[in-house]
Amino acid sequence: MNTARLTSIFLFLFASVVLVSSPSRAEELKYKRTIENYTMPDVTLVNQNGARVKLRSLITSDKPVVVDFIYGTCTTICPVLSAGFVNLQQKLGPKSSNVQLISISIDPENDTPKVMKEYLQRYRAKAGWDFLTGSRENIDKVMRAFNAYIPNKMSHYPLTLIRNPQDGKWVRIFGLTSSSEFLNEYKKVGGI
Amino acid sequence: MSNRTNNCIVQSLKRLLPGVILCCSLFALSATVIEDVHAIDLSPSEAFLQGERIYRDGVLPSGEPMQAVIRGDVDVPGTSFSCVSCHLRSGLGSIEGGVVTPPTNGRTLFQPYKVQYKQVKVDQKFYPAILQRPTYTDASLATALREGITPSGQVMNPVMPRYYLDDKEMALLIAYLKTLSDQPAPGVTETEIKFATVITDDVPSAQAEAMLAPLEEYVRHKNSMINLFKKEKRSARMAATMVTSGELMYKKLTLSRWMLKGPPETWRSQLEEYYRQEPVFALLGGISNSDWKPIHDFSEANHLPCLFPQTDYPVISTTDWYTLYHSKGIYQEGEAAARFLNEKIAALQGRNVLQIVRNSRQGQALSTGFQETWRDLGFAAPVTVTLGEKEVLSKEQLQKLLYANLPAAILVWDGAESLAVLESLVTSSERPAITIVSASYLGDKIWSIPEQERDFTFMTYPYRLPQREESFKRFIEPFMKKANSSAATEVISKKSYIATQMLTQGLMDLRGNYYRDNLFDVIGMMRDQELPLYTRLSFGPGQRYASKGCYMVQLDKGAKPALINKSDWVIH
Repeated sequence: MNTARLTSIFLFLFASVVLVSSPSRAEELKYKRTIENYTMPDVTLVNQNGARVKLRSLITSDKPVVVDFIYGTCTTICPVLSAGFVNLQQKLGPKSSNVQLISISIDPENDTPKVMKEYLQRYRAKAGWDFLTGSRENIDKVMRAFNAYIPNKMSHYPLTLIRNPQDGKWVRIFGLTSSSEFLNEYKKVGGI
Repeated sequence: MSNRTNNCIVQSLKRLLPGVILCCSLFALSATVIEDVHAIDLSPSEAFLQGERIYRDGVLPSGEPMQAVIRGDVDVPGTSFSCVSCHLRSGLGSIEGGVVTPPTNGRTLFQPYKVQYKQVKVDQKFYPAILQRPTYTDASLATALREGITPSGQVMNPVMPRYYLDDKEMALLIAYLKTLSDQPAPGVTETEIKFATVITDDVPSAQAEAMLAPLEEYVRHKNSMINLFKKEKRSARMAATMVTSGELMYKKLTLSRWMLKGPPETWRSQLEEYYRQEPVFALLGGISNSDWKPIHDFSEANHLPCLFPQTDYPVISTTDWYTLYHSKGIYQEGEAAARFLNEKIAALQGRNVLQIVRNSRQGQALSTGFQETWRDLGFAAPVTVTLGEKEVLSKEQLQKLLYANLPAAILVWDGAESLAVLESLVTSSERPAITIVSASYLGDKIWSIPEQERDFTFMTYPYRLPQREESFKRFIEPFMKKANSSAATEVISKKSYIATQMLTQGLMDLRGNYYRDNLFDVIGMMRDQELPLYTRLSFGPGQRYASKGCYMVQLDKGAKPALINKSDWVIH
């Protein structure tokens, strides 16, 4: 087998891998919804005010809890996820305190309370939306608990998790939702 | 009725009658935009600045934020969803979080867009994430920005905001896009990329050589590969298959030394003269024992990237763009001390913190880092005692300070003289629970701290611990040998090594698009790195300090003590 042929085969295989694993247009991928059980690690994280927060306590709430993974300087999908959060708060109006929104940093190196506070202010977040950071070890534990571990923030993907307060089960939404779809999912877990 | 109101009505009705309204709006917008592109009643420079503001900040000429809708029905402010968010400062786009953002610079917009892999066209069906399209016109570009529809009628990804822009705003934005990354940066030709490295005359020659040697060895090696590729066709084919930017294989790198002499206030004019004589693509490495600010300001003014200069005194900024530092330098150690104390807040019991600061550049940088972070954490300013250049703090003076302030922690931002303060603390009845010193400022003296002082003395240590750094030795050793690195200059050589590694990746990721803003755009999209010296280097859009960490350590017992880690790399 000559070198040119070998090179062609290698190029074909490489191109196949690149193309198969390439991202797709979001409108062709309706979001994927599953119901999951997750066990939270007993970790303490830090919120946008610098307060130490026990994640398990924050999540074990009698109201719906929505979790996503974002970082403060993200340019593409985090702003879209965050727009979904603030939109939900706006749609709920005075009832926005009925839901606990939690964004967990996947860039704990850079996301200090100061960075996170500015981020929430930029989105005009109301009370009830907390942005949490912490040690890389603890952040990794949380990502693993939600089956959302990524070794590097640049490999992240759009994921939203909604906890049903009645049975403690989670709705796992892979992909981006419209605001009406998001509100609908929130209502399905008893959110009002 | 204003154009903005018209647009809003069109947007609302479209949701009810998509087909009919889409056709009407397309027709109407096509007509109006073409006229208005020629009717911007502003000077070219004003029009550019306003267009740039829309693109970068999402702010309209009126000062109001641009408005947009994403995912069909999610209203968002343009300030959070400005064009630069995804298409980046250079306009060359990104791939992030599974979303492909195509280029929007004028050069790309106004020609047909095809999907290519190494100059080979790829069929759209195999790569649906990128929409192939014919060339844009002003009118079809306005339609894309307002309706999310390409000239070939394809609907864009719903995360692409659909902007409510009136005709004048649209014309300003389009005019800006036409200038965006339009001309390749100076310092790059078909065959060559020019770099320079800045060295100030306060740096001893051994240190300057330690910084230079790895860079020059890197350039020599890269250029020698060109000859190899020309002689050995098989190697060239293999390399072309492996690298993402084939054109880079045959580009020669040059590295000039820009030596700055005299007082820092004269550096700017010297730099301008060097730059006038040789407009380089970027500054690489560099070293100074003074504040980097004059060189930083020169880079900002000339939009000239400066990658990984070696300085303990970088400019601390969240908005400046053109210098990427290894870390915040000495300042970062003060920052780590504040975060560490915040973590141990229970031990403070509401008591104050005492800072003893040598009036030196190092002492001031440590103190500023601590005070600014301490303030941001919500604490009152510490009690600060500044020592003159040769002033000695006696045991009695220290005792008085402790008695008067009863501090919960004492920070000693001083060099070897810190050891005398530590010694005085051993027998002090008012000794605070925590004492912090800087390992960088103490230098080799850290190993002289007596055993009875080690239990209460914490040190800021901005690098990977020596015992863990050993594992990097094997793969960096050949490189260090070629660079003639010695133990005394090891840190400097390693910092230069980091610069070469990141440059290699950055140049590859440019993929032939030699625009200076693009260099920072691609670095901002890089994965976190584990390289020698720092536990982790991380990047992100707009992030300009690659290492964000600093350990708090203590000395182990014994005659040959090791450093014991007492904190995370990044303390929260």
